[in-house]
Amino acid sequence: MHVQLLDLACGALLLTAVLVLWRRELAVIIRVFALQGAALAVLVGVLAAHEGSAELWAVAAGVLVLRAGVLPHLLRRALAGAGESRRETRPLVNVSASLLAAAALTLLAYAVSRPLVELAPSAATQAVPVGVTVVLIGFFVLVTRRRALSQLVGFLLMDNGITAVGFLTTTTGAGLVVELGVSLDVLLAVLVMQVLTTRMRETFGDTDLDELRELRD
Amino acid sequence: MTLLVPVGVPVLGALVHLLFGRRRATTWAGAASAGAVLATAIALAVRVSRSGPVTAPAGLLRADALSAFMLLVIGAVGLIATAATPAYFRAEIAAGRATTRTAARHGVLVQLFLATMALAVLAANLGVVWVAVEATTIVTAFLVGQRRTRASVEAAWKYVVICSAGIALALLGTIVLNFAAAHTPGTAGLDLVTLSAQAHGLDPGVTRIAIVLLVLGFGTKAGLAPLHAWLPDAHSQAPAPVSALMSGVLLSVALYAVLRVKVISDAALGTGFARTLLTVMALASLALAASLLIGQRDYKRMLAYSSIEHLGLVAFGAAIGSPLALTAALLHVLGHGLAKAVLFLGAGRVLQLTGTSRIDGVRGLLSRHPALATTFGAGVLALAGLPPFSLFASELGLVRAGFGAGLGLATSAALLLVLVIAAALINGTSRMLLGPPSTEDVSGTAAASPVPIALACGLLACAVLGVAAGGLPALLDLAAQPLVVTR
Amino acid sequence: MSALGLVGGVVQPVLIVTGSPLLVGLMRQVRARLEGRAGAGVGQPWRDLRKLMRKERITPRGTSEVFRFAPLVLVATTLVVAVVVPFVAAESAVDPAADLFAVVALLALGAVALALAGLDTGTAFGGMGASREMTILALVEPTLLVAIFALSVRVGSTNLGAIVSSTLHDPSRVISPVSLLAAVALVVVIVAETGRIPVDNPSTHLELTMVHEAMVLEYAGPDLALVELASAMRLSVFLGLLANLFAPWGIAAEATPLALLIGVLALVVKVGVLGGLLAAAEVFVAKLRLFRVPELLAGSFLLALLAVAASFFLA
Repeated sequence: MHVQLLDLACGALLLTAVLVLWRRELAVIIRVFALQGAALAVLVGVLAAHEGSAELWAVAAGVLVLRAGVLPHLLRRALAGAGESRRETRPLVNVSASLLAAAALTLLAYAVSRPLVELAPSAATQAVPVGVTVVLIGFFVLVTRRRALSQLVGFLLMDNGITAVGFLTTTTGAGLVVELGVSLDVLLAVLVMQVLTTRMRETFGDTDLDELRELRD
Repeated sequence: MTLLVPVGVPVLGALVHLLFGRRRATTWAGAASAGAVLATAIALAVRVSRSGPVTAPAGLLRADALSAFMLLVIGAVGLIATAATPAYFRAEIAAGRATTRTAARHGVLVQLFLATMALAVLAANLGVVWVAVEATTIVTAFLVGQRRTRASVEAAWKYVVICSAGIALALLGTIVLNFAAAHTPGTAGLDLVTLSAQAHGLDPGVTRIAIVLLVLGFGTKAGLAPLHAWLPDAHSQAPAPVSALMSGVLLSVALYAVLRVKVISDAALGTGFARTLLTVMALASLALAASLLIGQRDYKRMLAYSSIEHLGLVAFGAAIGSPLALTAALLHVLGHGLAKAVLFLGAGRVLQLTGTSRIDGVRGLLSRHPALATTFGAGVLALAGLPPFSLFASELGLVRAGFGAGLGLATSAALLLVLVIAAALINGTSRMLLGPPSTEDVSGTAAASPVPIALACGLLACAVLGVAAGGLPALLDLAAQPLVVTR
Repeated sequence: MSALGLVGGVVQPVLIVTGSPLLVGLMRQVRARLEGRAGAGVGQPWRDLRKLMRKERITPRGTSEVFRFAPLVLVATTLVVAVVVPFVAAESAVDPAADLFAVVALLALGAVALALAGLDTGTAFGGMGASREMTILALVEPTLLVAIFALSVRVGSTNLGAIVSSTLHDPSRVISPVSLLAAVALVVVIVAETGRIPVDNPSTHLELTMVHEAMVLEYAGPDLALVELASAMRLSVFLGLLANLFAPWGIAAEATPLALLIGVLALVVKVGVLGGLLAAAEVFVAKLRLFRVPELLAGSFLLALLAVAASFFLA
């Protein structure tokens, strides 16, 4: 039963990553990202239930609050000042090609994580390729999007994927420390990027990174 | 207890700046804390050479010869940069480009920056190293974007995004390595000493993935290709003391992390894997720096690309892996740190005096500001690898080690690229220094300021190192020892 | 070929031929009611077919045999699929043909025949409809194959009967990432293949927005009746496939009259519910612009691929 729930949570992680790549409207992307945070919390909760560890339950609650509550709220605040330009305009790679690239990245992630799964085969480690896929899709979003907020969401996707891999591979004990460190890092990074987005809007008038052409060789 | 000083004193310095702002009394607080770090580093170096590695009671901090040496670099470059800061801000405030509040915030962040770098080199656990390196990114993000111009905001954004992405890859690598370690008998967690000792038992497939991620991730912070695009922008847009610190030390601290990872890689996978990976990244960085320096029009970006070149050289030395190569690489770290800090501070002063960062906009500096121009010129000669500066000795050592280890082709390529870069650097600088002076001078103050004094001291240290290194060779040998793996 | 398969092979085509116009009628009625109209009644498509059968057959000048035979090919292939795929009976009448690849090939053959007929008319609209249909088909066929393949990985065979029986024996398989991803991908595929909103509007009269209708503009009389019937049958076949791959309960496992009756009723209810939901969704969704359709289809392909990937590494 717990294997099924685990697989469902991983499937949701994957689906939300694909939806971030697919959709154009920034508000929808932020909502999908919040859903992914919830799926991640469910993943940790399932692991907590399996291990019977109260510590992991606390971590699951923390993940839910941070990644499905606080971070989307910060993102929405950064979006609120955007005005009419609330859509992702002409990403570097168009949506259809991005989706096909995501398919290729999935296969790559599967190939790359084979040694990880073979080292310690279990229901949890079987799902590690999903985490690696989310990391690769997040990196792809980071590299191919033009709006500052989309790049930020890409970075957060990478982080969600890394947290998923972290929880699926750790044995008991390191969970709380890992999550604490990573959460703090993510929170601070998002705060920094939110301030920078505001500053960018002040100086450039918009957060379309196409405008950032001052520095070049 | 001594281990807490290099981390704790800068934090106290930050608190002082936070609470008291920038007043006459606190102007030199920054330099004082950097001086304290340097003093502790020397003391630690002496102690480590005599009685072996020092561990803090909680087991989180550990100082062996390599950490002590890196701390020395942090202290020395930090001292130069913080000593030049008061004069820098005096000129900035006078020109109306900054306020005392900006200066106070700058002070807080620079002190935190020093503290996090010290933590990174003293950490005994790979996870703590990661946290410290990530912390440096967050602390410096606002330092880079301090001036609210379009260019600096763009530079800050690129810096934060690319470095965070790179660091995230390093985090994934850390998690994978933790996973491998958890399934090896005898190791648990990410303690560097136990990992290095038991590395031969790690699963090769998993470790390979982890090492690639870690080297790529920390290499991003060190400015190695392929994720180096943030470096020219960030280092050219940050205020001069910050650029000095970032170019001089932060890159080397990130490379220190790569060195520690390399030890684990060599023990688990044999020397060939890390050697190939680092050689490719080093040569790519050198080639990139060479190609983008040739037509360079901005002198601060020129210095930034030169940093990429030198870090590429250090990475190449790490790739070679022999004791001579590693000693030369570490000496290069120190020499480059000193010279680059001097150069960035000088460049900052030039920017304040002439108002432009374009090479074409600066002419005849030698005739109008002789002290500044001489230090700048000497610094560029140091970077180009001319004697008596220590970079000559370290580059010679690297070349000898490269040919000795059978990497002749790669070493020749590297040498050629270094030559091209040196030519480009000297060309650009001579255009700025020599010739008749340009007709306008934005800030009429040709007044003598403490800046050249600090710069001259740094250059002197660099030169002295090149000739006679004092007690340094013993420390360098000790530092290189844990990095050499015979397999 | 067992008794169950034989009985199924007789009951299924009769049911689908008679029931599919009623399905279309039901969908139009649901849509009408939601839009506040009275609607023409569930039996209207049958009345239309009867009217068309009595009209004169017209063949445009310049068309060849392709134009004349295309409706027959379309009906024939759909009929074969209706006989072979397990809709009412869990076993197939012609077991080797109940394979995933054979069924998909047959359905594709029908669609291609119609597109060729559209080209054959030599008119601008026919060509336009045919080219649009082929673009959509080129993106949809791989998705269809990959999505059902994802389901077959766990079963170990691409025989549709085997897939359906294995889901019958292990119901908890349905709530796994593989099934869910494949289901979403298949829904998009069905919408695209049967020409429903948001890919194509079946009740439009504006030629420039047509995809499927543009290909059949030149048909009249009995030919048109065959084409309409075939379209309705394709819709029922696809919906029945969707229903039985993911919720096969009620399907007849033995050749008793009671089981068969339950099987027929189950299929009718499932397909009716799915059709009603599809029609209701059509009221709330707008048709996509044509150049946005490849995005939707690429997304569904990605989901199908992820379903296959998940079936390999998520147990």
